[in-house]
Amino acid sequence: MAFNFDPGVMLDTLPMLMRGLKWTALITVGGLFFGFILGAGAGLMKLSRGWAARKFAGAYVETIRGTPMLVQAMFLYFGVPMALGLRIPPLVAGIVVIAVNSGAYIAEIVRGAVQSINIGQFEAGRSIGLTRAQTMRYVIWPQAFRRMIPPLGNQFIISLKDTSLLAVIGVGELLRTGQEIVAVNFRAFEVYLTVGLVYLCMTMAIAHALRRVEKRLAARVRR
Amino acid sequence: MITIENLHKNFGGLKVLRGISLHVDKGQVVCIIGPSGSGKSTVLRCINRLERPTSGRVVVDGHDITDPSTNINLVRTEAGMVFQQFNLFPHMSVLENVTLGPRKVRRLERGQAEKLGLELLAKVGLADKAASYPDQLSGGQKQRVAIARALALQPKVILFDEPTSALDPELVGEVLEVMKRLAREGMTMVVVTHEMGFAKEVADRVIFVDQGVIQEDGPPHEFFSNPRNPRLRDFLGKVVSHT
Repeated sequence: MAFNFDPGVMLDTLPMLMRGLKWTALITVGGLFFGFILGAGAGLMKLSRGWAARKFAGAYVETIRGTPMLVQAMFLYFGVPMALGLRIPPLVAGIVVIAVNSGAYIAEIVRGAVQSINIGQFEAGRSIGLTRAQTMRYVIWPQAFRRMIPPLGNQFIISLKDTSLLAVIGVGELLRTGQEIVAVNFRAFEVYLTVGLVYLCMTMAIAHALRRVEKRLAARVRR
Repeated sequence: MITIENLHKNFGGLKVLRGISLHVDKGQVVCIIGPSGSGKSTVLRCINRLERPTSGRVVVDGHDITDPSTNINLVRTEAGMVFQQFNLFPHMSVLENVTLGPRKVRRLERGQAEKLGLELLAKVGLADKAASYPDQLSGGQKQRVAIARALALQPKVILFDEPTSALDPELVGEVLEVMKRLAREGMTMVVVTHEMGFAKEVADRVIFVDQGVIQEDGPPHEFFSNPRNPRLRDFLGKVVSHT
C-alpha cells in the first residue's frame, strides 16, 4: 500500500485533540503550581540550618532527579494503589507526578537563586533587626524570585512536554488522545505530526511570553 | 555603652582576634584604624554578632550578646550598621529601604514610618530622592541612604565598617559631613576607617588594631602626633605618604 499524505486528516484530527489538550494544560498548570510550592519548600530546606531538613530535602531531590519520570509515573499509578488498596484517578496521578518531579528541579532553581544573592543583603537585613525569616521574606526572596524566572520558564516547557509520558498510565492527555485516534483511523503520520505541532505551538507561546516577562523585569531592574 | 572583654575570633585555624578589650562610653566617637587583615572589621562585626565571637564577652547597652538567651534581633536594633558596600536593598525605593526596619521591627504604621523616613532622608540631604531606587544614586548618596536606614531604628550606637572605602574620592566628603553631624549630635559611633583626617577631627579616641590585638588606644592628638608604638609609627608613615 502506497503512502499518501492526507492533510485533511490533520484538520479533522485537530478538534478531536482539544479534549486531550485541555488535560495537558490542566496537568501542566496544576502540576507546576504544586511543584513550585514543593520546590520552594525543598529549596529553602536545603538552605536551612537544620541538618535533618537539609538531608530530607537533599534525598528528595536526588531520588527524583536520579530516576526516570516514566518509572515514577508507573510506580505511583500502578504500584502505589496495590500497596494502599485504592485507585488514584488519572488526573490526580498526573498532577502529582508532574508536581513531585518538577518540584525536585525547582528546588535546585530556588536554592541557586537564593544563594546567588550577595551575603551583604542578608547581613543588612539582619543589621536592622529583621529575623532570619523576615530577611528572607522581605529582602532575599523578592530579589531571588526575579532570578528564578528564566529557569522556571524553562522548567515550565520541560514539564509541559513531560506530561506526554503520562500517556502510558492512561491519562487522557494530548498524546494519549492522539493514540486513540490512530487506533481508529490508522493515520499515524498525520495524527502524530499534528500532536507534535500542537506541543510546538504551546512551547513557542510560553517561550515568547517568557521573553516578554524577562524584558519587562530587566527594564524594571535597570530603572 | 559597649564593653568588650578579651574577645577572640578564629576563622578555622586563622586567629583573627587574639584578645581585644575595649570600652566605649555613651556619646563617644571611636575610630578603629589598622592595616587590612588586622581584624578591625571583625571587631565591629562581633559587636552586633554578624560574626560569632569564639570566646570573650561583648556587652552592648547592658545586653551580653555572647549569651545565647539574649534576643539578638533586639540588640541589633540598638546597634545600627553601615557597610562598606552600602548593601541597600535594590528592589526597594530609597524610602522603602529606610522604612523597612521601622515597619517590620518597630511595628510602626506605614504613614508614621514614612514620616520618620522622610525626616531622616532630609537629615542626610536626600529628601528629594525618596522615590528613587538605589541604582539611580551615586555611591555617596547610597551611603547616606544607608546611614538614614541605620538611624531609622533610633539605635543607641552606629557601627561604620569602612563607610567611605568604596567611594570615588570626590564623594567621600558628603558622607563624612553626615557622620560629623551625627557625632556632634552626640551619637555613639564606632568607625572602622582609613580616613585619618576624619579620625583626627571627629574621634574622641583612636584605636590601632594590628595582628588581632589593640596596639594603641588614645585621644587623636596624642595618637597621631606622638605615636609610641613602632607598628603604629610604621603604619602612619605609610598611610600619610600616600595622602
